[in-house]
Amino acid sequence: MEKELVDYVARALVDDPEDVEVNLIEGEKSTILELRVSQNDIGKVIGKHGRIAKAMRTILSAAATKTGKRVVLEILD
Amino acid sequence: MTREFEGKTEKDAIDAAIAELGLERDEFDVEIVDTQKSGLFGMSKKVRIRVHTSSDYAPVIDTQPENDFEHGIIDFVGGMIERMGYAAAIVIKYREPSKLCLRIDSESSGILIGRKGQNLDALQLLANVVAGRLYGDEIKIILDTENYRSRREESLIRLAHQVGDQVLREKESRLLAPMNPFERRLIHTALTDIENIATKSEGEGLYKQVRVYYRGV
Repeated sequence: MEKELVDYVARALVDDPEDVEVNLIEGEKSTILELRVSQNDIGKVIGKHGRIAKAMRTILSAAATKTGKRVVLEILD
Repeated sequence: MTREFEGKTEKDAIDAAIAELGLERDEFDVEIVDTQKSGLFGMSKKVRIRVHTSSDYAPVIDTQPENDFEHGIIDFVGGMIERMGYAAAIVIKYREPSKLCLRIDSESSGILIGRKGQNLDALQLLANVVAGRLYGDEIKIILDTENYRSRREESLIRLAHQVGDQVLREKESRLLAPMNPFERRLIHTALTDIENIATKSEGEGLYKQVRVYYRGV
């Protein structure tokens, strides 16, 4: 569920949606989502002062309250 | 456009007009038509105001999307909420020349608002980024649910007046919690006409804090 959310939002933000990739690493207490986008698009998923990344993390936490599991979003470059 | 509103005070009546018309306070003029005092010592009051909108524009309320842009934004916001795992319906609450306000109808509105509105603000920020990509920065998207925006505005203005009274009483400054620029502007505006009180923003970044301080002798 959270993986689809990150994928969906990232694709709407970037210029190269076909290069968006989300990897899910399932831990016992938390889930790590690794977001990879094309080099040109990194700024678009982070935003000025990290505002966009922060907003994505916020809605991820809101989504995760349903399952009770912590979700961590990592943006890789 | 001219409409009339009533309230216990002038402010109440103006707030009613803001809520009903979906306008900002600086987008209309207010004329006080009637002030009725009744009851013992004139305690209970009723104020009637006439509101004149500055332009001949009338807000469109609860309407359907009309173009690709509106469809696109509604789909995007709905798509995010769906993937967050919540059911919601999105409608256009009102439309202005450079503003589009969407209302989220959902049983999960509490979680969609979040603590201090942080979830709603995050959804709104992402919606605005996508709107900017679709349409340039000409149209600002506002997301609301359960009238959270106007309720939050009212409670911030109430807070401003409470803190203002306290500062006048104790003659000591008070620092408010961090707020976004829109919220801080509400606090500054609410206290701007109060004598012997001044306000100033402190801190860095998007979420600064307003300090209310005493300026009298």
